[in-house]
Amino acid sequence: MIKYNPFNWILLILSSLVLMFILAPLAGMFLHTGGHELLETVNDKEVQRSIWLTLWVSFAATFLFAFGAIPLSWLLARRNFPFKNIVQGIIDLPIVLPHTAAGIAILGFISRDGFLGKTADLLGLSLINNPAGIALAMAFVSIPFMINSARDGFAAVPERLEKAALSLGASRSRVFFSISLPLAWRSIMTGFIMMFARGMSEFGAVVIVAYHPMIAPVLIYERFSSFGLKYARPASVLFIVIALAVFILLRLISVRKKETHLLPDAET
Amino acid sequence: MLKLSHICKKLGNFALTDININIPAGEYFVLLGRSGSGKTQLLELIAGLNEADSGEIWLDNENITRKKIQDRNIGLVFQDYAIFPNMTVFGNIAYSLHCRNLSRKAIGGKVKIIAEELNISHLLNRFTMNLSGGELQRVALARTLITSPKLLLLDEPLASIDASLKDDIKRTLRQLNRKGLTIVHVTHDYGEAVSLATRVGVIHNGHIIQEGTPDIVFKKPVNKFVARYAGIKNFFRVKFFNENGKWKARCDGNLVFSLAKDNYPEEGLMILRNDAIKIQNGEPYKGNDNHFKGIIKEILPSETGMEVMVDAGEMFYIDISLDDFKKLNISDMSEVWISFPAEAGVVLGGNV
Repeated sequence: MIKYNPFNWILLILSSLVLMFILAPLAGMFLHTGGHELLETVNDKEVQRSIWLTLWVSFAATFLFAFGAIPLSWLLARRNFPFKNIVQGIIDLPIVLPHTAAGIAILGFISRDGFLGKTADLLGLSLINNPAGIALAMAFVSIPFMINSARDGFAAVPERLEKAALSLGASRSRVFFSISLPLAWRSIMTGFIMMFARGMSEFGAVVIVAYHPMIAPVLIYERFSSFGLKYARPASVLFIVIALAVFILLRLISVRKKETHLLPDAET
Repeated sequence: MLKLSHICKKLGNFALTDININIPAGEYFVLLGRSGSGKTQLLELIAGLNEADSGEIWLDNENITRKKIQDRNIGLVFQDYAIFPNMTVFGNIAYSLHCRNLSRKAIGGKVKIIAEELNISHLLNRFTMNLSGGELQRVALARTLITSPKLLLLDEPLASIDASLKDDIKRTLRQLNRKGLTIVHVTHDYGEAVSLATRVGVIHNGHIIQEGTPDIVFKKPVNKFVARYAGIKNFFRVKFFNENGKWKARCDGNLVFSLAKDNYPEEGLMILRNDAIKIQNGEPYKGNDNHFKGIIKEILPSETGMEVMVDAGEMFYIDISLDDFKKLNISDMSEVWISFPAEAGVVLGGNV
């Protein structure tokens, strides 16, 4: 039981203030949005298209980039190599960059003058104002979440389990798929959800790469700048509700996976 | 069978240096050493988890020093078993068979046989989280033995098991060895070495400092470190001298011991086994060559009975049975005689 001494009171008040700071604006927005306006927005085809686009593009970006991010995470957790700290720094770079600057960098990369843009152009594809370009911008700013979480997951798998599997005759790839990957799965899923959620909420980088087709954050901005706060609010509320529902669903799916207890490597 | 020849391996500030071991087929070899002595590293080198910097490892006349871990056919059971927590007991035991792409039927049959042998058939469908230490040990053994290894390496196999289950596992290990399996068992526990080993190697700071049958190693330890392992507490720094054709040793505290053999160095370290010294509260025991009067400083219960600490100019630690202790009727500060034969004194080669 908590004792009500002054220290506990101060902790309680400060913690409540922070929670209020997060919840109050959201609650205000929900309270100021009428049922009629919300229903209209739900039926708005443009809003529906935009939310659907945001969800699937962010999911696709996360899914596709996972194929490269997971092996890289394993390398960072298990191997020592020259300039490893620099590689780790590069991975964290998108977190500290202003997202508009990240957008400009991506735009340079995928425009017709850039390497990727030129290659896509040869295939008759334009990455600007295209879901593929949006996916790249989303992935650029959100991939550190996946890599870092998966890396921590692999690092928490006791190395002796991998050694035991090797001594039982398993190849390196079998050890990875049968031991390392399943045991790091929870962290990988957490990273997946974080990357997906971060990609879904990205505005700065995406708006520079693709104003159209509009993802939900761009649509909300567009409604706000063209029609004002009142018109931006219902779309915001709807997007937040759907994003939260997807987030909770994914979280539940990942948590439902059987929990395995890992003991740290024994000292020898 | 297994031959390690001049194995060296540097691991940070620690190094295994010039390790030479020859283990014939069917032997139960116990490598005894404190934690950090390099015993686990040595096992990992034999298993192929690490590569030696220099030296060679031979198994059945084949140089396996650079052979891939998967192709060595050496079984390794880890200290805390390294059971895969994402698999059932069946999955763990069958793991190596899946690696060899055996049919489902063949895998099922083999797992059933080994599980029956190790009395874990009832656990096959369970996940491993709630198994006891003894059960986990059996699963780890089954998982390794199903590969039919030429050599079984055990890293502290009894360290994490309840005392009551240790005898069970010891019996299983003895049976495996009797069936012809060569075993290398790493431990810090002298008792395990005595009860299981056909041969013992004592490792300290990355060196093998003594090797031989348990009887020889613990009765004639080469130095203080090995002697301590055997529970010996009576160490005396002595100067040797010859008096009228008989060899004697003078301690720092001026006590003089009569010795049995010839040709001692000028000075050295002498040990007396705790159970080689007799204690009496009347006249000294006439059959022995060395008699000293002393005062009991402390009496403590020990595994074998009682440990009596006697100050007779030097401190002597004497193990006596509980029956003898009751018969003697002694207590702290009692005046007693201690005696030991001239043959009991063993001179050590070094001072670790």
